[in-house]
Amino acid sequence: MHSSLSHLRIAGLAVTTGSVVRDFLADGLAAGVDRAALERTAKTIGLRERRVASAGVTALDLCADATERLLAEMGLDASSIDAVIFVTQTPDHSQPNNASLLHGRLGLSKSAPAYDLAMGCSGWVYGLHQAALLCAHGGAARVLLCAGDTLSRLTNPGDRATDPLFGDAGSATLVEKTGRSAPMHFVLGADGAGAAAIQVKQGGARQPAGPLAERTDAEGNRTHDANLVMNGADVFSFTLREVPGALEAVMRHAGYAPATTDALVLHQANRFILSTLAKKAGFTEAQTPMAVVERYGNQSSASIPCALIDGLADRLEAGPLKVVGCGFGVGLSWGAFAGEFGPLTVAPIASFPR
Amino acid sequence: MTSEEKLRLLRGDVDLFASAQPDTVLAALPDWGSLAILLIIVHFEEKHRLSVAGAQVRGCRTVAELLALIP
Repeated sequence: MHSSLSHLRIAGLAVTTGSVVRDFLADGLAAGVDRAALERTAKTIGLRERRVASAGVTALDLCADATERLLAEMGLDASSIDAVIFVTQTPDHSQPNNASLLHGRLGLSKSAPAYDLAMGCSGWVYGLHQAALLCAHGGAARVLLCAGDTLSRLTNPGDRATDPLFGDAGSATLVEKTGRSAPMHFVLGADGAGAAAIQVKQGGARQPAGPLAERTDAEGNRTHDANLVMNGADVFSFTLREVPGALEAVMRHAGYAPATTDALVLHQANRFILSTLAKKAGFTEAQTPMAVVERYGNQSSASIPCALIDGLADRLEAGPLKVVGCGFGVGLSWGAFAGEFGPLTVAPIASFPR
Repeated sequence: MTSEEKLRLLRGDVDLFASAQPDTVLAALPDWGSLAILLIIVHFEEKHRLSVAGAQVRGCRTVAELLALIP
């Protein structure tokens, strides 16, 4: 689906990460993996360290911290927020949703609706599209988009293919209605037939909590039904198959070309995927921020705002920049975007608790 | 493209296959695993414009079977 929405802007961005630093090499050695093999993987995939949430800290806490820091940075009161959208697959509870909990925590106006989107690595783009719709057509002047997960809690330490990948983070993005007519373009899509490539089977209505039997795959990775289980090769094939076309389509709608676009900001899955996608889409590595995953890990729906801040903060504050990007992952789903970002307010990346 | 040419391209592009022969068993390669499969998927995509699924690669026992995926 293609959608172009105008009279809106991203006014501010903030990301809060978990406070516990996990080192890829040290963790692998402790798990008995050969050092040379770890070093080869680290070099190819781009894994070094990641930040995970400390005990008791949830995506709600991380997003609340990001929101409070962003509002303070912008000198705004929470009462000025007209709606809250919370993108997460790791909510505090199955009911009520995280957006309602954040609404209560921040003391937002009762006229501000609050709802969740159950999306993962593509989710920030879906949330941005929702926020843009509310500003363009829904009567909102300022929408708070929170996106974040604590996926590190869902992986099995015995799953060496998946466990070292994820970091925990929460983001806050403020989207505002403006008089500026330059549209933001979106191309959104899904391939539900590939849903089994990334899943947590247990915990929903189909398979509620129950006894867990651990299984071992052909490569010796151990998982059970309450774990996030990912078929990395199938996810990678899906990404190569769908993301370049989505980027091409969204750039066509925007009238952008790689050479005249300032940045390509992709979901920070890993360096290998990012450099492959950038090359396939015709962008240089210099145009494509990809350092997030080496420092923070794959942060699910918080990774695109984190890459915007980590790679482009100064340029976004000065803005505008022509930015193209894409989130992709669980669903399977993808969301590409293109538009002018900035000037906007950026709160520095911080960890919680500090 | 002949099988020899396909093998030469693979050896030059993916270190894991530097000294592989057609009858080399994939599971016997050092570092065989999910990362190796990603490298093969990219190799097929970039050098042969061929999209393959992880299961297709996992279904191959030898290097010759892997190269037979290329039309």
